[in-house]
Amino acid sequence: MGGSSIANETVGVSSGREGITFYQIITNTYLLYTVSLISFFLVWDRVAAWQVFGDSLARPHIVALKLYDLTQIKFAGTNLGGHIWASTQRVLIGFSLASFFAVPLGLFMALNRYANAIVKPIFDLFKPMPPIAWVSISILWFGVGEFSKIFIISIGTFVPCLLNSYNGIRLIEPELYDVIKVLGGSRKDEVVQVSFPASFPAIFAGLQISLSVAWTCLLAAELMNARDGMGFLIKRGMDTHQPSLVLGGMILIALMAWLSSLLISLMERKLCPWKRSIDNL
Amino acid sequence: MAYEEIVVKKPLPLIALPCLSVAAFLLFWEWIVVSGTVPSVLLAPPSQVFTVFMDKLGNPNPDGAILAVHAWTSLQEAFIGYSLSLLVGIPLGLAMGWFRIVEGLIRPIFELIRPIPPIAWIPLTVFWFGIGLTGKVFIIWIAGIVPCVINSYVGVRMTQPTLIQMARTYGATDWQIFHQLCIPSALPMVFGALQIALAYCWTNLVGAELLASDTGLGYLITMGGRLGRPDIVVLGMVCVGISGAILGFIIDCVERRLLAGIRR
Repeated sequence: MGGSSIANETVGVSSGREGITFYQIITNTYLLYTVSLISFFLVWDRVAAWQVFGDSLARPHIVALKLYDLTQIKFAGTNLGGHIWASTQRVLIGFSLASFFAVPLGLFMALNRYANAIVKPIFDLFKPMPPIAWVSISILWFGVGEFSKIFIISIGTFVPCLLNSYNGIRLIEPELYDVIKVLGGSRKDEVVQVSFPASFPAIFAGLQISLSVAWTCLLAAELMNARDGMGFLIKRGMDTHQPSLVLGGMILIALMAWLSSLLISLMERKLCPWKRSIDNL
Repeated sequence: MAYEEIVVKKPLPLIALPCLSVAAFLLFWEWIVVSGTVPSVLLAPPSQVFTVFMDKLGNPNPDGAILAVHAWTSLQEAFIGYSLSLLVGIPLGLAMGWFRIVEGLIRPIFELIRPIPPIAWIPLTVFWFGIGLTGKVFIIWIAGIVPCVINSYVGVRMTQPTLIQMARTYGATDWQIFHQLCIPSALPMVFGALQIALAYCWTNLVGAELLASDTGLGYLITMGGRLGRPDIVVLGMVCVGISGAILGFIIDCVERRLLAGIRR
């Protein structure tokens, strides 16, 4: 059973010297990845071609063609780039607005127990409420325009941002404070030299979570009511029964969600390089 | 060994402030609607929400079902989808953490599907399964499986290499190391996934019900919005929040019971 599990990674030095066996070939990671991806698309294509779900699943190349078509023609007033930008803009505004207020508030709550005693209970009332539940009331309050979508995204992203920056300071090892006290630091030194830098990784983890929540909220808002954006494409595909349009919209939104989370990780790597060892788990 | 318990006395304002702040919040909410600062077509005061709550306990109008039916539908969907995602996700994640073949075959597909927000599946599930129970269970399953797989995978991966090497030295087989060493050491991470998965499931359940449903708490919210009844919308939101909190509390108790012997 050489090389079939991670047990061998821990003793990997000796296992490499036995020459290439059949088992090592079939457990080659890249080979497996390729096989997996090819079989995924093959199964998708076959399931669609054999109409397992009737005409409600489009074959992969039809989805690709559909997306290509959308870049060429105007669909509901704008082409594909316009729809992607409309959605991205909403996420950007809502996300930056929420993190701009939530992160400092979370830090402040963790550092000042009186602020915490006032804000935390109200926050605890709202915490278990899924952000998507706000969709209806935000439409009632702000109509179907841009602002109601940004409002939902902000509400959804506010919670994880605040919670993580709060916990980021709460969970700092007490030894770090002891060190700075022994070295003769004041309360200000404690906050600036220990609390802020040590809470960075947690804040970034919060931003990552927020971002994925933001895309979910955006999608919910756009599915409920929108005239452009990726959620609109999906909704239009649903209403006119075009599985290729629905799948195209899903792929686009997954791509954008993935790209934006990549951007945050890059930023994190720049801003707190000491966390890298935890990342490479 | 007996330790003397150290009682840290909280200053009085720290005990009083939380109660005061919640009371002030509720009063403020009541006041801005009653005084007319916010028109009553946009927001219902807490007292009115409570009245509607008492009314909805027995009155199926105007959305077609009493509150208990909505809550029961939602809980049922959440429970089935959540259990299915645990049943599939945890073994899959554990196996991905240990066996290279499983990881190599599943991981690319998992990474392709993961960034898709679960509610993006709604149109396809409506095409495939209609707006009944199956479609929503599918969406909840998709939502819950992601944290289960990730946490179980990371849990196995975080097993101390020293322990694995020791087990190998004593002649343990791969399978023995996996189920006697890696799985127990991954358990705290796996149980951590229970809470995360529940929150995901609950959020996406509401999303699914808002868009494609004919009963359920999410549907109650949508109908309230369509009928222009802010009291019903707020009631739905409060119910979703409270039932989510109760479910979370139950999972927390289960987790504590199961983890009783394991240091976290």
